[in-house]
Amino acid sequence: MNPSNYLVLAAILFSIGAVGVLVRRNAIVVFMCVELMLNAANLTLVTFSRIQGTLDGQVIAFFVMVVAAAEVVVGLAIILTIFRTRRSASVDDVNLLKY
Amino acid sequence: MSVVISAAGSGAGPVVAAAATTIDTPSIQYLQLSPVLIVFGVAMAGVLVEAFLPERARQLVQPLLTGGGFIAAFVAVCLLHAHRGVLAAGAVAIDGPTLFMSGTILVFAALSVLLVAERKLDSAGGTLVADASVVPGASGARALRNARGMQTEAYPLMAFSVAGMMLFVASNTLLVMFIALEILSLPLYLLAGLARRRRLLSQEAAVKYFLLGAFSSAFFLYGLALIYGFAGSVELGRIADAANTVGRHDTYLYLGMALLAVGLLFKIGAAPFHSWTPDVYQGAPTPVTAFMAAGTKVAAFGALLRVFYVAFGGLRWDWRPIMWAVAILTMVVGAVIAITQRDVKRLIGYSAVAHAGFILVGVAAANTEGLSGTMFYLVAYGFTTIAALAVVTLVRTGDGEASDLARWQGLGKQKPLLAGSFAFLLLSMAGIPLTAGFIGKFSVFEAGIAGNAVPLVVVAVLTSAIAAFFYVRVIVLMFFSEPTGERPVVVTGSTLTYATVGIGTVMTLLLGVAPQPLLDLANHAAASGFVR
Amino acid sequence: MLSNYVPILVLAVIAAAFAIGSVVAGVLVGPSRYNRAKVDPYECGIEAPAEPAGPHRFPVKFYLIAMLFIVFDIETIFMVPWAVTFGSLGVFGLIEMVLFVATVFVAYAYVWRRGGLEWD
Repeated sequence: MNPSNYLVLAAILFSIGAVGVLVRRNAIVVFMCVELMLNAANLTLVTFSRIQGTLDGQVIAFFVMVVAAAEVVVGLAIILTIFRTRRSASVDDVNLLKY
Repeated sequence: MSVVISAAGSGAGPVVAAAATTIDTPSIQYLQLSPVLIVFGVAMAGVLVEAFLPERARQLVQPLLTGGGFIAAFVAVCLLHAHRGVLAAGAVAIDGPTLFMSGTILVFAALSVLLVAERKLDSAGGTLVADASVVPGASGARALRNARGMQTEAYPLMAFSVAGMMLFVASNTLLVMFIALEILSLPLYLLAGLARRRRLLSQEAAVKYFLLGAFSSAFFLYGLALIYGFAGSVELGRIADAANTVGRHDTYLYLGMALLAVGLLFKIGAAPFHSWTPDVYQGAPTPVTAFMAAGTKVAAFGALLRVFYVAFGGLRWDWRPIMWAVAILTMVVGAVIAITQRDVKRLIGYSAVAHAGFILVGVAAANTEGLSGTMFYLVAYGFTTIAALAVVTLVRTGDGEASDLARWQGLGKQKPLLAGSFAFLLLSMAGIPLTAGFIGKFSVFEAGIAGNAVPLVVVAVLTSAIAAFFYVRVIVLMFFSEPTGERPVVVTGSTLTYATVGIGTVMTLLLGVAPQPLLDLANHAAASGFVR
Repeated sequence: MLSNYVPILVLAVIAAAFAIGSVVAGVLVGPSRYNRAKVDPYECGIEAPAEPAGPHRFPVKFYLIAMLFIVFDIETIFMVPWAVTFGSLGVFGLIEMVLFVATVFVAYAYVWRRGGLEWD
């Protein structure tokens, strides 16, 4: 199968993630959309690695997974704190700083 | 990244190397990497201190350990001043700009430690919360406000963040740059949520900073992936080689470059990616704001310069128009919106946006003068901002900092010396002669003219004039208006904060009156350029 | 080289024209008859309740354990490739992995001493 199809798939996933971040209201869902974007980038990396025949892209994908895991932990901790305070994870409720 | 097993052909699946073959292992130059390693080591030691020492001891040990570590790393940077080269199998570059910016970051971090360690400010123990996990409004939250002590995890978090910043300016491959970006950002997201007063605002700032920061780093990563697809490598030098090959300009390159720029411009706080800046500056605890404003700006500009001068240096005719547009938009947005602000921390936030625009003039110049001018500006801006935010921590009312500007009316009559130094710092931000800000603006604008960016410099001068208006308005408010309503109390006896204000103000004055030594140093660091 | 940007500009203009054009066309061409039911989220059935407030749906402990699990679990991603090529990497690989594991153990010590591993 033509590997560039995977590039198109990754671009679509990235776009879905980006749109999701902009339109969804729940902080957890927004965060999941960011993770979708990261995984789209990973898919792109692995596909290019296959096309070019170097292993660099796959190694980078490993590092990205670890970084994403660290980001999940920090992000969930922050979202959890604000959820415990307000009983809501909606980003629309996060509006004290707006004038 | 040199450990590439080239046996994996494009057609076949991944080939597992036979067990007998040896892979060329890279050599790690621990000595040349020592500044970053010292800071990482201090952060690790800080985590161990958190684990094994009792609370009382931690309050004392952590600031000494962290501050001492930053000073030791600064000494290491000074000792390495003559080193140039690419280390750790091409992952990290040690050159003039790296060393200059690492040193700058360490100085700013050490000053911020003084602010964080200040315990005499609030009724109890400083501006950071004692226990971040207590729900605001719950029973015990009031006791928490008056609890002695603070969440000492802030110190290791700061150390991790500083290590990330130093790695960010030194990284020679996009992968290391991405990891450094996360190492510097993740602790900052947490630190932003640690304010003792106004917990809700602080937590809100942390959520906003985190979600937008993660969003932007996803863009950076996708850009990295596309550049890898274009060049077959993420080493900046190899990207430059591929980009300079005639006839190889394609979509992946331009799309990747744009996405990388989005990620980096977000960290800088340039418009249209600036929306987090005022919110986070206002919500985060003020010492953290100072650390973030000074340190992150240096680190992000260091990385931006390295990516665009090294990897995309040959394409500067393609990216300069975009840089121009971003710089103009940033300056105008920062200066115009700042006029309407009533909160002193938000004001400094929008002024940070405007300053990011001025520094981008130096980046858009795309020449050696631009590099050295940018580096000088970052030093001047950092000292001024840290001192200004230190003053903000000192002016308080019953429920924390008097960040509302109306409360600052008549402060000049109450505390002439403190208000005077704040006025001086504001003049430096406005770029009045005899201050560091003037020399900084002068050197980036000069570089802009040398780099044929005259229209850009004209816009920059005009927005400087707009920006000067709101700085002067604050000065007028402090010295020529009668105090109304509840007057703020200016805390006395907090030695560490006053020391920070003093150092920042004196450096602002020194760099304005006798800037030549630092200008020479910046020129020297810029002259040898980036290694690749 | 500003001409490189012309296609982007053209695309932006077309996109903007399409977006504005669709909305304007909808307003001009489409009939508009007011009906209160149209404003509701669903045109039939009961009103959707707001997001449930009240007590936590899960104790926070589950999140804590999940986070700790992710952090320590993901480290295997570096260990498996290392173990596969251990013979080729030799002493250098061993030293680097010992450093890496020591770093992870610093975090482990913190979690253990601060009671992150206790369920109650």
